[in-house]
Formats: sequence, C-alpha cells, structure tokens
Amino acid sequence: MQFAARVSLGFTAFLAAVLLAGCGESRTPAGDASAGRKVYRHSMDEAPSSLDPVQAANVYANHVAINVYDTLYSYKYLARPYELKPNLADGWPEISEDLLTYTIRIKPGVHFIDDPAFEGGVGRELTAEDVVYSIKRHFDPATLPQGAWLWQGRVAGLQEWKAAGSDYDQPASGLVALDRYTLRIQLAKPYPQLLDSLAQGYAAVVPREAVERYGAQFAMRPVGSGPFRLVSFDTSRILLERNPKFRQEPVDLEAEGYDPATQGGYGLERIAGRSPPFVDLLEMDFINEPSARWNSFTKGDEVQYTTVPNEQLDRVLASRSPVRLKPEYEERYHSFAAIEAGFIFQVFNLNFPEFGYHPDPGQERRNKALRCAIIKAFDWEARNESFYGGIGEVYPGIIVPVVPEFDPDTPRDSITRDVEGARRLLAEHGWNAQNLPVLTYGTTGSVVMRLMFEQFRAWLKEIGYPTSKVVLRQYATFGDISRAWKQSELPWIAKGWGLDYPDAENTLQLFYGPNGSPGSNDANYRNPEYDRLYEQASVMLASPERTGIYRRMNRMLIDDCVAVTGLSRKRIHLWHRDVIALPDREIVGGFFLKYVDVLDKPAAGGR
Amino acid sequence: MEMLQYSLRKLLAGIPLILGVTLVSFLLMVYFGPDQTYTLLGKNPTPEQIAEVRAQLGYDQPFVTRYAGYLRELATLDFGSSHSTGEPVSALLGRTAPVSLALVAPGFVLGNVLAILLALLAAHHRSRWPDKAIMGLAVVGMSISFLIVIVAFQIVFSSASGLNMFPVRGWGASSLREYLHFVTVPTLAIVFVSLGYNTRFYRSVIVEEMTRDHVRTARAFGTPPARLMLRNVLANCLIPIVTRIVFSIPLIAISGSLIVESYFGIPGIGKATYDAIMVGDQPVLKAVVGLTAVLFVLAQLFVDILYRAVDPRVSLQ
Repeated sequence: MQFAARVSLGFTAFLAAVLLAGCGESRTPAGDASAGRKVYRHSMDEAPSSLDPVQAANVYANHVAINVYDTLYSYKYLARPYELKPNLADGWPEISEDLLTYTIRIKPGVHFIDDPAFEGGVGRELTAEDVVYSIKRHFDPATLPQGAWLWQGRVAGLQEWKAAGSDYDQPASGLVALDRYTLRIQLAKPYPQLLDSLAQGYAAVVPREAVERYGAQFAMRPVGSGPFRLVSFDTSRILLERNPKFRQEPVDLEAEGYDPATQGGYGLERIAGRSPPFVDLLEMDFINEPSARWNSFTKGDEVQYTTVPNEQLDRVLASRSPVRLKPEYEERYHSFAAIEAGFIFQVFNLNFPEFGYHPDPGQERRNKALRCAIIKAFDWEARNESFYGGIGEVYPGIIVPVVPEFDPDTPRDSITRDVEGARRLLAEHGWNAQNLPVLTYGTTGSVVMRLMFEQFRAWLKEIGYPTSKVVLRQYATFGDISRAWKQSELPWIAKGWGLDYPDAENTLQLFYGPNGSPGSNDANYRNPEYDRLYEQASVMLASPERTGIYRRMNRMLIDDCVAVTGLSRKRIHLWHRDVIALPDREIVGGFFLKYVDVLDKPAAGGR
Repeated sequence: MEMLQYSLRKLLAGIPLILGVTLVSFLLMVYFGPDQTYTLLGKNPTPEQIAEVRAQLGYDQPFVTRYAGYLRELATLDFGSSHSTGEPVSALLGRTAPVSLALVAPGFVLGNVLAILLALLAAHHRSRWPDKAIMGLAVVGMSISFLIVIVAFQIVFSSASGLNMFPVRGWGASSLREYLHFVTVPTLAIVFVSLGYNTRFYRSVIVEEMTRDHVRTARAFGTPPARLMLRNVLANCLIPIVTRIVFSIPLIAISGSLIVESYFGIPGIGKATYDAIMVGDQPVLKAVVGLTAVLFVLAQLFVDILYRAVDPRVSLQ
C-alpha cells in the first residue's frame, strides 16, 4: 500500500509538472514561422484532398487553388450579386460579333514563385502558353481531371486534341497563344459563361515545368503565381505565406463593389489603396467537428473565423429573422448572414416507371399525380426548422435567390404543404395503400440523414403512404451514393448543389435531357420543350429575354412535379473583431482571403 | 541459435496469416469498398470518361492481377501514390505514423502504468472500499463515450469558458514544451478512457494470481505487502499483461486514434486512414491493412519471446 501510494504520488507530481510545462502562453501550430508576423487563422469544415487545379472540384479545394494560383478572371470582393473582374487578364476580352472568338490579353510581368522546377530555381514569367497548357490538362485522362465539363463541346478543338492522345506539344485549334501575352479562344458555339469558367479554380494557371517535375506529387506541391505560396499542408490544416513576388495592385474599394450602407462597419476602408495580400501567414484549419470548431473560435487565440453551427444558434442569436446576435457576441465578433449560392432539393428519377415515364400514357398521368401528391406532403417549413435552424430560405423551383434571374413572385403552391390536397390527388388517380409503389430513399449513413428520412416517411404516412413502402437505403460514403445516382439506381434523390457561377443556367442544366445519368440530370427529365429552351438560352447573353426563358423553364419543372424544391441555407459568418474582412465561401470560394487584414489590437465598436 | 530458429519458424508461420488478411481485406476493398471513380469524376461525365477514370485507377484490371500487384507492393514496401493527393504512400506513412505514435504513446504508457498501480491497489484491498471505489470509477470511465470525454476535456482544459490552459486543437513537436502543450489534453482523454478497461482487466489477472499457493506462503512468511504485490504477484502475472500491451502496439503505430486526431486536429495516421476509407483511396488502405497484419505477426513473435523472458518455464520449442 505504501509503495503503491508513493508511486501514485510520484505520478501525480509528474503529471502536474507536465501540465505546468505544457500550459502557458498560446502557441500556434504555425510555430516559429509565425513569430513577429501577421497571421490570419481561417477555419473550414473539410479539407481539400488535392491542391492540383484540375481536381479543384469543391469549395475547399478552391479556397486554396485561387489563392496559390492565378485565374484570368475572378469575382469582385464585395459586389453582390456577384460580378466578374479581370484578374490575371489585362482587361476584358475582345469578343467577335458572332460571340465565338475571345481574345484575352494577359498582364505582363507576372511571375511564378521561385521553385526548383524552374531554371536556376527562380520563378519565370507567366505567359499565355501557360493558360493554354493549364486548360489542356483537363483533357488529359492521366491527370484525373474534373473540370473538362466547363469547356467540353464549347471550346473548339479540345476534344480532338484529347482524341489524338493529349500530346501537349500538339496544338488545340480553339485554344491558342497568339503571342506571349495574348490568348485566343475559339468557341464551337456561343458560351456566355466562358469568363465565369475562367474564374474557377479549375482554370488556375500552372507551369508545365512544375507539373512535369513533381508528377503526381504536384497535387501536394503547388507552384503558382497567386497571392500566397504553400508552407505546409496536411489533413488538419494548410499554412500559406505571402508571395513576395505577387503583383502590386492597390485595392479600389468602389471597383470591388463596396457598399458603405451594408458593409460600413467592418473596417474595410483600411485596405483601400493598399496592395494585397495583407497578412504574412494564412492558416486554414480544417475542422469537421462543429464543437471543436466553435471552441477553437471562441477561445480567442486560435481560429479567427467560423460559421455558426446550428446547435449554437440559440446561444448566439437574439433574433433569427432578421439575424441578430446577442449583445455579448455582437460585442466580441463581427457577423454577416448570407444565403448560400446553392440549394437543397430532391428529385424523382423519372427512369423508374413506378414514378416517372411509362409506356402507358394513363399510368404516366397517374405517376405524375403521385409525384405531385408527394410534393404536397413535403413540409419545407418543418424541414427548415428541424435541420437548418429555421433560417434557410424556401422558394419554389430551382432558380436560387442569389442569381439575378430569381423571381420572388413565383407562386408558392409547390412549397406549401397540403395534406388534404395530396390525399385527394391520390384518391382521384386510383392510388391506395395497396398499389402505391415502394419508394427507396437513398442517403449516406449519417444520423442527420437518417432523421431526415424518418421525417419524410412520417409526412408520407399522413397522406396514406404505408410506412413499409418508404424504405431507407444507406451508403457508406458520398462516393458510393454518387455511384448510385450516376447509375440511376435510386427513384428518389436528395442532394445539394453549389453554384459554380452566378447564373441560373448552372441549376437549369440539372434537368436538361442530354445531361441524364450519368450526367447531372439525376431526374432523367426529358422534356423536348424544356431542352429546346435550354439550348436557346444557353447561347444568349444575359438579358430580360433570357431571364424570361429561364423562368418559363423553372415553371415547367414545377408543373411537371419533377422535384421537391428548394431551400437555400443561410450561413452566419462570425469573425474576430481584429480581423478586417468580409468572409464568403460561395461561388468558387475563397477570393476574399487575399484581402484579409489583421489589426494589432481589437477594434472597439463597429458592427 | 534456438531463438533465431524459433523466430524464423514463427515468421514463416505468419505468412499464411498475412496472405489471409490481405486477401480478405482486398476482396472487401474491391467488391464492397468505396469506389473512388465517382469521387474523381467531374460534372456531367460521359460513360467514356467514367471508363477513363476507372482505367487510371486500375479498376479495369482482373482481380488476380490486382491482388498480385498488392502482394508485390507489400513485399517491396512500395505502395505507390495516393490516388487522392498524389503523395507517395510511404511518405504519407512516414509523415503521419510518427505523429500518431507521439500522440498516443504517452496516453498508452500512462494508461497502462496507472492501471497496473490501481489494479494492484484494488486487488490488495479486495472487496473493501478502495477496491469498490476504484472499480466503480473504472466502470464510470468505461461507460462514458470517448467522444463525450474529448468534448468535455476540450471545454474544461482548453475553452474560454473553462481553464483555457491548452489549445483546443493543433499539433507541434519542435520542442518538448510545445509537444507537451499540444499532447496533454489528448493524453488526459486517452488515459481517462483506457484506464477503466485496463484497470478492470489487470485487477482480475492480479486477483487470480493472489489466490495461488505461493502467494499465500509468501504472505505467511511475513513478506511485506509492497514486495509481495510486486515480486510474488505482479511478476507472476506478467504474461497476460505483456500480451495485452504488445498486441495494442500495432494498432497504435498504424491505425492511430481517429477520433482524437480528428477532434484535436492532429495530422496522424488515423485521420489519414479514415479519409482514405471515406474516398476509397486504395493505395493508402492497402498499405495500412497490409502493414497492420505484418505488425501483428511481429507482435506475436515479440510476445512469445517476451514470455520466455518473463517466465523461464516457457519453452521456445
């Protein structure tokens, strides 16, 4: 006993010594690299799996891609709705009258970062040939590219270049460097979103030398010309440092879309006239667990930005509509609430004869009635309250509120719950508990998804759909359920969509017939009139006429009861008061990071 | 010489085990695991593009060819590159395994040493209040979810509303002080959770040993309690203790601790393995599964040799 007590005492003393040694002043994982330097610590809920622009398929990868690389165009820091601006491009392109030829000048004197891949280890000047090379990589199967859809069938000659073996020494007819600083893009048909496509992380400009030197490891070793360069990267965080060679371009707040009325309290005036980036080190922590992210944010000396997790809404908000923080949070943090550039929706897969197209026209009419009844049973308000904190925006159709084509006056009957109407519709078309088809609801294997399914099943039960006929099929990973969607294995598909660019075309293409499985038209909706309108609008520049066409297409989808839609989540961004920024993760994501500045001392007052 | 022969025999006997484990796990990976094709596809893919990605990933090869390639990789310890990041798997393991080891080792050591001490104490006071108190606390430790322990410890030790002494997350080991700064709270969480399981196990082993005749005889001869517990009891129940400890090591070295790494933002092998599972990054998964099997065979060999060291009656024949 005495011996054990002595040893236990020794261990206690040791533990105490460890605790004392370990606690104390704050240490950032940036370690010595941060000493005496201005650091901004951002947080995101996921990590990018690759830093190669050809795989910049999500907002996480784009946050890095557009900050270590350059794109020809980018989105203005503060303008809402989103507006493009020239970035690496030296002004707007010259566009031929037939809208098929774009001539883009590139800023001279832009250099890649120093890297052993270059002769003498010194970064060389970025040229138009680099842009050509970077886009060609999306048509080289060996790079496992994910961005070809942006230019496939639109930029002339790229498919042929791929078919000929993706030889980078061979030209692609539609993508030519006329000289060192001039790029010509020849289109197969007008492509109004071309400049948006050139603002994507996919279009980031990479040097051929680095790709060839590092091979597969290029995905972990970016060599770009963006405002930052990589220091380290793992699944927990990425550390970037200021690129000392980044071009000097003083911020013109007015040109960036600054609105003093709505953005006046964030201290943004302090960056006017100065050239970004303003911080020496940019650290992004990838924190999937909301509680850990929240604790790290509120701690004060760790991450300086977070979105408010749903489970913290009651604690943080004094009011949900309009979003207003409680005074104690208002005092400590800046905040900004914004609707996402995307939406949550569900579609019926019309390839299933139980719900969609059927050789018998009579049965097809009954199927449509069944779909309409299910839509009437869906309770969007309850879904919003249960899973999105009650602050999401529910609206009819698939044109989301952040795009200029959104019509707030669209009738709301398709998102208004009508249990009696649903029952009546089923009865009128001969549906009853015996002949209703089995509805397989596919989800990934998370608790939240399971709860969503149970809620949905309960709604259907109210309209007479037997519980036993609404069945759950769970998939272990997102890749697995993606396979099921692409292979048209599920009659009911619940998913989210983030806009690639601020144009309703990006969501309307989700129902374009030729985009059926394995394309993004998971509903396999085939409506010749819809397809004709899509093709007509897809070559038109933004105009009231095009908006009218978009809205007609939206109405068609509502009338055909193809989808249960939609809801755009509202994100509440919080950041420390010593950070000068207006964070945003929508539309590509991460353009704001180069404009972030950090004060030496917390600012008092303000928003 | 006897030892060398024995080691070689055991290693040879481990080959069927490795083949069995790798075959079953590879079968599961190929036919039931996540298909990375659909994670790597762009929007609106054509069937041709799907086929291209499958070809790039090697999914179009026959199973036998792929399995033979796996065995070759295992034999040469060259698992190629991660399909997600392009990072060579050996570099990934070299980068993450030491972090996991540094993360879990203090908790592992403390969890076992403290558990043995508590088990000795409880066994010595069997059925009296110290025993009941220790076992009661052990059950409490076992009953609380690891996740809740982590969140609670983060709030208590790291958050602004708690003691705010340590970081919520992050990792650094450039100095001992920095290492202690980041490892302390994860270690406390690991110790809290493992202590209950370990203490209960060790106590039952020690209590059983205390019923032996030689212990009763030693006690009758007036051996002091501390000496009795250490030399007559603990020394004679080292075999199950060694077995438990050594067989835990491969899991620590290779699998790491996913939850701890994830919540504390530590770039260890547990998180890397989890990410690989979620996207179906087969080169990483193959390496982790294969190396875990190999390490278990080595652990088995090591345990057998240790048996001999702690109990001379054990024969290597």
